[in-house]
Amino acid sequence: MKHLVKTILCGAAVMLTPMIAQAQTIGPKGEAATPSSEIVVSDSSAETLKNGNYTAALLWHDQSDFVNAVTAGATAEFERFGVEVVATTSAGFDAAKQRSDIETALTKKPSIILSLPLDPVTSAAAFKEAKDEGVKLVFLSNLPANYEHGTDYTTVATDDLFQMGKQAADALAASMEEKGTVGWIYHDADYYVTNQRDNAFKTTIENDYPNISIVAEQGISDPARAEEIANAMLLRNPDLGGIYVTWAGPAEGVLAALRANGNKTTKIVTLDLSEPVALDMVRGGNVAAIVADEAYELGRTMAAAAMLDLLDQDVPPFIVAPAVTVTADNVSEGWMQSLRVEAPESLR
Amino acid sequence: MSEQKNLLSLRNIHKAFGGVIAIQDFSLDLKAGEIVALVGDNGAGKSTLIKIISGVYTPTSGDIELDGEAISFRDASTARAKGIEVVYQDLALADQQPVFMNMFLGRELTKPPFGLLDKQRMREESQQLVDELDVRIPSAASTISELSGGQRQGIAIARATHWASKLVLLDEPTAALGVAETARVEDQIAKLKEKNLAILIISHSLDQVFKLSDRICVLRRGKQIGVRETKNTDKNEIVSMITGVA
Amino acid sequence: MVVYIGFIAIFLFFAVTLYDDGFLTQRNLTNILLQTAPATIMAIGLVFALSAGEIDLSFGSIVAVSALTVAVVLQDYPLIVGVAAGLGVGVAIGALNGVLVAYLKLPSFLVTLATMGLFAGIARSMTDLRSVPVMNETFTGIFGSGKLFSLPSLVIWTAIGVGVGHLVYRQTRFGAHVLATGDNPRAALVTGIKVARIRLYVLMISGFTAGMAGLLYAGRLQAAKYTLGESDLMTVIAAVIVGGTALNGGKGSIIGALLGSLLMGMLNNGLILMNLRVSDQMIVRGLIILLAVAVSLRDSKR
Repeated sequence: MKHLVKTILCGAAVMLTPMIAQAQTIGPKGEAATPSSEIVVSDSSAETLKNGNYTAALLWHDQSDFVNAVTAGATAEFERFGVEVVATTSAGFDAAKQRSDIETALTKKPSIILSLPLDPVTSAAAFKEAKDEGVKLVFLSNLPANYEHGTDYTTVATDDLFQMGKQAADALAASMEEKGTVGWIYHDADYYVTNQRDNAFKTTIENDYPNISIVAEQGISDPARAEEIANAMLLRNPDLGGIYVTWAGPAEGVLAALRANGNKTTKIVTLDLSEPVALDMVRGGNVAAIVADEAYELGRTMAAAAMLDLLDQDVPPFIVAPAVTVTADNVSEGWMQSLRVEAPESLR
Repeated sequence: MSEQKNLLSLRNIHKAFGGVIAIQDFSLDLKAGEIVALVGDNGAGKSTLIKIISGVYTPTSGDIELDGEAISFRDASTARAKGIEVVYQDLALADQQPVFMNMFLGRELTKPPFGLLDKQRMREESQQLVDELDVRIPSAASTISELSGGQRQGIAIARATHWASKLVLLDEPTAALGVAETARVEDQIAKLKEKNLAILIISHSLDQVFKLSDRICVLRRGKQIGVRETKNTDKNEIVSMITGVA
Repeated sequence: MVVYIGFIAIFLFFAVTLYDDGFLTQRNLTNILLQTAPATIMAIGLVFALSAGEIDLSFGSIVAVSALTVAVVLQDYPLIVGVAAGLGVGVAIGALNGVLVAYLKLPSFLVTLATMGLFAGIARSMTDLRSVPVMNETFTGIFGSGKLFSLPSLVIWTAIGVGVGHLVYRQTRFGAHVLATGDNPRAALVTGIKVARIRLYVLMISGFTAGMAGLLYAGRLQAAKYTLGESDLMTVIAAVIVGGTALNGGKGSIIGALLGSLLMGMLNNGLILMNLRVSDQMIVRGLIILLAVAVSLRDSKR
């Protein structure tokens, strides 16, 4: 459930986003996505950047292993080009604290700010001072209201949410040999991140896998209720081939339900890395795959985008970092690719 | 005592809590400048009587006259407004506040034009009061918690006498004090006579009662056993009145 | 008092170690004043509540409800109506706390623990978790980004709050009765102080200052959100205790609370400028607050 909170934050972006299921991830203002792999600072620019004595501040919304991985990716990329990180903060989801953090960081006159604005409305005034002072602003997932690409900010980066849902569908289909019945446990709230991911899963199954049918749909708003929901679903559909769970937290509850029923056949697929869920997968349990975002790459691309802007190069308005499908065969690699840390001991 | 009219008259006071009779048929007169001691065993009704006089309890029946005027107190503050003050066993002092604020607790002095506290005047008047009663404290600005038990008792007595225009009720004023401090507080009580106040004192110490009082009133199980002139009685008589053993 | 020494010590420490990082710049020092303004205003109300022997845990939720009320009302009504509504809900919630505590004789800890949750929920449901922008520029000027004689409005509000708070607390009969009520309620009662009414009033004051803090947040952020004030509970309690106010009543200081609040703001600011990792910022801040509270409480026991 490491992304739940991030997820909740991004909910505000929903207001700006058409809610129809897209065939790809689109930005807060409907921008087309540019893959993060296209955002590269050339080695030839290294000299210019180093001579610029540039500095950066990382002003996050909260602390989590996701934020740590983004920070690590950004810091490593900055280091390559001699950009010094002069402040790192966490607002703990407090909009007032985020405003204070921005003011405090500006004391150190950073050239770049990477940040996840807590929501479009409260962050508009909060980032105004930084914007007016010409700091290069690279945002994660959210965009302050009425900010213009190019003049006010550099870019918005986020996970490739559609890909995450699609890859979850592909992985579950593969584990079911592309036939059977599926239960869909989606996040029952107006939240940009989960809605995009959940709908991408559903769309993919419906469009790409004619022999798989979604026979049960159940929304969840409280992860603690996942076990009851899964129990009810299994009672009505005892021969479910697979279950999609919106993120890892509730997936743990679904797993508990399957174990309690002695069910060893129903496959589970979920999003975001979690040690207990991955452990079941490694031990050959119900979990078929976990789809994760490449948080480290997300951080790298944010840093790269900011530096490109410093070099007066064009940066596209909306960048997405890829998703990675983690199965029992590639847990160590998957963990490394997503978070750039070793997988937990139990999984290796 | 010179012949003068009674300051406080209690006539046939009854007090019952539900079916339990706490005080029955109690009558007593007090004159200004007179100290009357109220003695009796635990549960004899002394505290109930103090609470009736200070307005906390309303008597079930009976009359109270103050200065010849029939009165019935609705609560403690009306009694206070009539010039009756109580020195409680627990002293009722705010420990973390300075002496002068305690002296004027609930009746703080203010100054024009904004009605802010007149701390200087309260300090000066407090100093004067404690000096009069010879309560020796470092300063009127001292915090109560810095003072000894005797000093605190002195403050409580000084406060009561400052505000009492007629009657001071003292509930076990020296129960928690050592020998030297008790003697000092007794001196202070004796001085109150000079201010022409009537004083009703509850005490367990017969030595004290005989040292201070003009008359002694004995209660046993809510009944008034009798009132004696202190100079015309002795401890044996009082003890037998308290215990009921001849 | 300890808070003065601690304040000066930490200020000097940051002034020396963070000189090159701009700690002493006018901009940074102004930032600290602006950032702590709402917490300082909340702290004033809490000093009154604690001094009377009550605690208010609900003020953080009141901040959110008040800020959202102002933001919503200002969408359709003029400035004065919005301000009155924001402060009004603060006082009303404080009065609810106060009536339950003073007249139904429920412990303030439990009452305000419950209303904290209740109004946090109401704040969430008021706008369905949405943030509400504040477009009224007169409002955001007066309560947020404006200036008077080159003094930022938030600094002026802090000064007014501390000035009036200190005067009422130290120089009025009401202030004396608050202290007496917290110090020894029985003594207060027998000397004619209306103890129940004092308890009601201090919780109303705490509601009022929380409402005011909500206005300042709405002005500063030009928006209101249900999370406002949520994280201030611990900061404000710590600021007030470090500032020499007793948790169990009868003793306190408005000036101390101001310094305690500035101390907290200075810590947040300095530890970020030191470029510590976020976890380390939390650890160091926690240790310093622990030290300050311990020393402050030891000091007040003597």
